[in-house]
Amino acid sequence: MNEELWTNRNNPGIDPILHVWGWEIPVYLFLGGLVAGLLVLGGYRVMRQAFAPEAATQRAWPFAPMLGIALLSLGMFALFLDLGHKLHAWRMYLTFQVGSPMSWGAWILVLVYPALLAAAVLHPPERVPFGHALLARVKPWSEALQARPRLVLAVGVANMVGGLALGLYTGILLGSLGARPLWNSAILGPLFLTSGLSTAAALMHILSVVSERTGAAGPQGRFADALLAGFFRMLNPQAGGDVMLRADTSFVTLELLLLGLWLIGLGTATAVHKEAAQLVLSGAYAPAFWALVVVTGLVTPLILQAAELSGRIRHTLAPAVLVLVGGFALRWILVSAGQASHF
Amino acid sequence: MNAPLYKFGLFGDHVGLLIGFLIGVGFGFFLERAGFGSGNKLARQFYFKDMAVLKVMFSAIVTAMLGVFWLSRVGFMDLSQVYLVPTHLGPQIAGGLMLGAGFVIGGYCPGTSVVAAATGRIDAWIYMVGMFAGMLAVGFFMPGLGDFMASGDLGQTTLSSSWNIPYGLLVAGVVLMAFGAFLAAEWGEVKSGGRTREEQSLLWHRGYSRPRLFVGGAVLLGVGAAAAGTPYRGAELRTSAAELTRIVSREADHIAPRALAERLVEGTQVPRIVDLQLPEEYAAFHLPGAENIPMTDLPAATFTASEPVLLYAADEAQAAQAWVLLKSRGYPAVYTLGGGLAAWKSDVLSPQLPATPVGEALEQARARAALARHFGGQPRGFVDAAAPAVPTPAAVSTLAPGATNAPAAAPKKAKKKEGC
Amino acid sequence: MSTRPEPQPYMNPYLAGLGIGLMLLAAFVTMGRGLGGSSAFATAAGVTVATAAPDFAAGHAYFGEFVDAHPWSEWLVWEVMGVFLGGLLSGLLANRAHLTVEHGPRFTIAKRLALAFIGGTIMAIGAKLASGCTSGQALTGGSLLNAGSWAFMMSMFAAAYGVAWFLRKQWV
Repeated sequence: MNEELWTNRNNPGIDPILHVWGWEIPVYLFLGGLVAGLLVLGGYRVMRQAFAPEAATQRAWPFAPMLGIALLSLGMFALFLDLGHKLHAWRMYLTFQVGSPMSWGAWILVLVYPALLAAAVLHPPERVPFGHALLARVKPWSEALQARPRLVLAVGVANMVGGLALGLYTGILLGSLGARPLWNSAILGPLFLTSGLSTAAALMHILSVVSERTGAAGPQGRFADALLAGFFRMLNPQAGGDVMLRADTSFVTLELLLLGLWLIGLGTATAVHKEAAQLVLSGAYAPAFWALVVVTGLVTPLILQAAELSGRIRHTLAPAVLVLVGGFALRWILVSAGQASHF
Repeated sequence: MNAPLYKFGLFGDHVGLLIGFLIGVGFGFFLERAGFGSGNKLARQFYFKDMAVLKVMFSAIVTAMLGVFWLSRVGFMDLSQVYLVPTHLGPQIAGGLMLGAGFVIGGYCPGTSVVAAATGRIDAWIYMVGMFAGMLAVGFFMPGLGDFMASGDLGQTTLSSSWNIPYGLLVAGVVLMAFGAFLAAEWGEVKSGGRTREEQSLLWHRGYSRPRLFVGGAVLLGVGAAAAGTPYRGAELRTSAAELTRIVSREADHIAPRALAERLVEGTQVPRIVDLQLPEEYAAFHLPGAENIPMTDLPAATFTASEPVLLYAADEAQAAQAWVLLKSRGYPAVYTLGGGLAAWKSDVLSPQLPATPVGEALEQARARAALARHFGGQPRGFVDAAAPAVPTPAAVSTLAPGATNAPAAAPKKAKKKEGC
Repeated sequence: MSTRPEPQPYMNPYLAGLGIGLMLLAAFVTMGRGLGGSSAFATAAGVTVATAAPDFAAGHAYFGEFVDAHPWSEWLVWEVMGVFLGGLLSGLLANRAHLTVEHGPRFTIAKRLALAFIGGTIMAIGAKLASGCTSGQALTGGSLLNAGSWAFMMSMFAAAYGVAWFLRKQWV
């Protein structure tokens, strides 16, 4: 390589060479958003129960906080894999930088885990596939918690606030990286939060259907069988899936709106931002963006859910699966396309 | 606006992929609507129970064919820009037989298997796994099939150009054939005990129905096509640069002078020989059997699609231009004389041969000397002790009708040029 | 919800054909090319080999061309993904989507699945020989009056009717 090939661009002294993000970051953002959605939805249910304790609990929901812990840990592991200096990760917790979203994120994660744990203890599942001894030990704790409505309310608020913070943070983190014009938008935070909410509603929809169907045969029953068969079969709308269906429909609609706002915002900004928006509108990422995110992940589930809600077609899990696919595609494409955009 | 939009640069590759996805959504949607997501429904076609496959396929073919024809006819679309898969009769017939058998055995065709898999047919998923395995198998034995894959090569050709039937007339024929097939299918369904619901049928329904309007409209447009003329724009260009490049790079665009000479002597595989020179140049010297079509007259000239045509002029470049012109008019078998007339003279009429060859080289030299003398030429450098080979009477007689004055004119000119 | 929505009847075949024909026409008008089905499978198989065994593929006459292939730049890959989504959408909207195995009343599921696999394998080889399948050759080439496509279509129907009698148990 000749020295004269170093022009004033692509020169590490002028344009910082940014770390290239592979699959780890999209996975982390997707799971983070999903857990944020679970926190908000679960927190809302806890709060409602604080005011109306007689409201029936549903079989699927007690699993939600534990699922959240598992998924968030999986996401954190993906993030950890991406870190350049893995052994230095703990240093994030030695300081708090008000101006750094990375620092905010590290601390939000610390607060989210206890909130999820508290929610898990508050409403433990009646039966679990394994760990009966642990369940028995948690029982007194949850009874003690449930006896104190103010504490229940606090757990609900902590879940909701933690979820909102986590959901917004995943978008703001990208927005704070000034070198990538595609991410220079305040809408990314709400967009990722909404997407997280819709994927969480979709996941809970799937979970309620599966747990309702396996309820009769016991939790250890033909789980895999039900997972397969449940994909297309009718769902009893009283199982709670219907609420999530309505919730998901509104989240997906909101997400479409925010996506539009994001692109309009970029399109009316500087030439560099317009060029960045072109990447997803008609450029290299256009097929994936339109086909996977918009058509597969948003428009198709909307059509199907509308038809399901109007009772014209059977309830199936297909729209929920499509929403999850679309949610992951959104993170993946935004991260990839964002790294391709530059000033 | 000019269609195909992509080929006229209206949008780029990425948008093209997106359009592919959206068209695919529509394609899959209508395939499922037609019932092609069900293997049972598809297979009933082959037991004359339910002729939906035939009805849907020919409705689709007729729709797209009429659409392409009329959009091209009114000048919106350039039909020559629509990609035609090159015809290789051998592998295509063999492949067709395999697909037909595989259709009944597997229950789906590749496109419908995707739709069936999407709607939960487990057999379609297994079928797709089978397709994947088949594609792996293909990879291992495909390279050994080189010759077979090229057999029956007619290039990019339509029925219209290979049968020399006007395009519009064929369109009308296909529409009427489809119409007949629809009626026969409905009649056959009733005969074989299959059921045709009245509202779905052309025959049994009374009064206007949407299927009747569609089929009636198609028949009208099809019959109109017969009188509408050619759908091709301007000079009837109907080949792609990529295809021409492929032919040239395979050196399938020319015939070497010596190979032509041998064919002429044997009287087999003799192409129609076209001399592109001016009439006076033609009079001075031309190949035996050649007819004179000067470059200026070439656009108006017509050829039979099935007959090979050999073009030559004084130099190779001029013939190559004529070659592109004829190829772009859709003639499948057009060749130039490799190296032009100059090569004919230096290679056939007065080849430079070794002075005293021995063994095999002697045989070759004799053969080439005989070939040169046959066309009235004289080899250089080689003096054979044996008697000069006399062309067999049979060879002469096949040449005689078209030979005109070539043998007389050729040696004179050749000798003058050589100056010996 | 007490009333369980029933599967809707199929669309009129002529009108479904009109819809497919319009999609095909749209492909001609926008892209200057037709539809396809089998090519995406060839790409998938080729790219799999090239990814799993790059050294073997690099020197191979057939798999070599997949070494630097970009499957996500293949038009037919996107088209087939669309076909999947379109079929899913239509099937769900008509209550026709459910997990099942399609077979005749006198045929076992295991045999049916075995034949589905064999049929798929034969079909892939045939489609590669003919450089196209029912979509790429019969529909696309048929409507362009492509000489080879009509030869293909005729031999396909001939073989299907020829084989059908031997497999009648599978279907009817």
